[in-house]
Amino acid sequence: MKIIIFGGTPGSGKTSIIKYVVGELKGLKIHYAKFDVLSSDDDKRIKEKFDISTEVKISGELCPDHYAALEIPKIIEKHKDKDIIIIETAGLCLRCSPYIKDSLAINVLNILAGKPEGYGPLLRDADLVAVTKGDLISQAEREIFRAEVLKVNKNTSLIEANGLTGEGAIDIADAIKKSPEIKEKMVLRHSMPTAVCGYCYGNKIIDSEETLKRYHLGKELKARIPNLNCGKCGFKACNEFIRAVLDGEVNENKCPYLKKEGEK
Amino acid sequence: MQIEKITIFGGYDKEGKKGNFEKVDILAGQKIGIVGPTGSGKSQLLYDIEKLAYGETKTKRKILINDEIPEKELKLDPIKKIIGYLTQHMNFMTDTSVHNFLKTHIETRGKRQTKEQIENLIEKIIEDANTITGEKIKKSTNLLILSGGQSRALMVADLAYISESPIILIDEIENAGIKIKNALELLVKKEKIIFLVTHDPILALDTDKRFAMKNGAIKEVIHTSIKEKGIANYLSWINDYLLDVREEVREGKQVEELKLICSPMGK
Repeated sequence: MKIIIFGGTPGSGKTSIIKYVVGELKGLKIHYAKFDVLSSDDDKRIKEKFDISTEVKISGELCPDHYAALEIPKIIEKHKDKDIIIIETAGLCLRCSPYIKDSLAINVLNILAGKPEGYGPLLRDADLVAVTKGDLISQAEREIFRAEVLKVNKNTSLIEANGLTGEGAIDIADAIKKSPEIKEKMVLRHSMPTAVCGYCYGNKIIDSEETLKRYHLGKELKARIPNLNCGKCGFKACNEFIRAVLDGEVNENKCPYLKKEGEK
Repeated sequence: MQIEKITIFGGYDKEGKKGNFEKVDILAGQKIGIVGPTGSGKSQLLYDIEKLAYGETKTKRKILINDEIPEKELKLDPIKKIIGYLTQHMNFMTDTSVHNFLKTHIETRGKRQTKEQIENLIEKIIEDANTITGEKIKKSTNLLILSGGQSRALMVADLAYISESPIILIDEIENAGIKIKNALELLVKKEKIIFLVTHDPILALDTDKRFAMKNGAIKEVIHTSIKEKGIANYLSWINDYLLDVREEVREGKQVEELKLICSPMGK
């Protein structure tokens, strides 16, 4: 099974591009899942057009990336018979990226929506960047934009895509067909903000047990540091420090206020 | 990459019937018109060319470059991409001066050039852009306040000198308020191959060949006659005259003179 993740800011043309791409993937069993923050009827529109199984997941109060990471294993479990699962996610704050290693990560990037260096891991970690709305600006600016995208992510393939005409859909479908199958353990390419749950202590493994384990480790450590966010350890916030300790990047002694285990 | 020849093989129309010609060769420096009613397949043809299609699009059209099947890299790698595009809907969106914009674009292209060479090239681009538009572009002008005609003129000059795409697709830019014939001459001088979707007789009759599209396929390849070229020149003269008078009106002048005589073969 292949997992294909389309990430991009609202209005970048993800859904329109996906429609053309699904049209190029005839003969394959596809499930389409759309993650949105507020509401969406894209699932109905895609079902109507291609008669494939679709669903919408609304994250509501939750961070949409946290929510997606929690839901994706369930989606895969339910759709084991499919060849391809297409996941479309919007409402990203640009702090994170929704991409999983071994998936095909596609960033749909609206050329009119500002400079590429303004995008974080959403662009930086993408395997493929589909640049949309390029038909509205000059060749010169498209070339400058491409150069800027490659400065942010030099390993990506760049495809000029158009949600109105379907330009680029053949190339994206090609890349999907050639993309790897997912492995047992799915791992995010970029950690989520560190805050309250296992993921929030920097867990990247999509697995509820791992998340819980990480949460307990984080909580234990959190109890022993003063949560002053003083910055003396070199990290902006205590939670970020905890993440770094748990990832083995730094020794816990770096915190000048650390209490020994058992110390009150 | 040096492109000497493009070959287009017929392909199929909307009913799956084979078009009634085998193939056509196009050489560097040639202008090809694409004409036909709405829905006749003009845009699809441009799309196939842009994709350097080799049987994978719905027309099953095949395209060869220099008698060879184009490498996949040519279609995807931005640096190697050989097709430039110019349409009527295009605008500039960068908030900077014409000078800085051209400088950035030259630097993006990655050629090692001295400051002086870059400055000279910028001068040359603006000078040539100004032969295409009636309203003069200055180095210091902000890109965003350029008029439609000035923008188009600058895009053409930029395509000619900086974007090195040897193939240029132009989609209906006739009404953009520019001396379109000068624009095309500038591109052809650079040995580019130009495909031009147009209903404007000045442009359609000034090509080397034109493809008459019908029902999704190229129905006929018409070779432009000398007489047609003469007509194109005459119409172009009228068009330029119209633009000149327009400039006089714009500048608040009284239009003094009515020009009646022109040489049908132009300058």
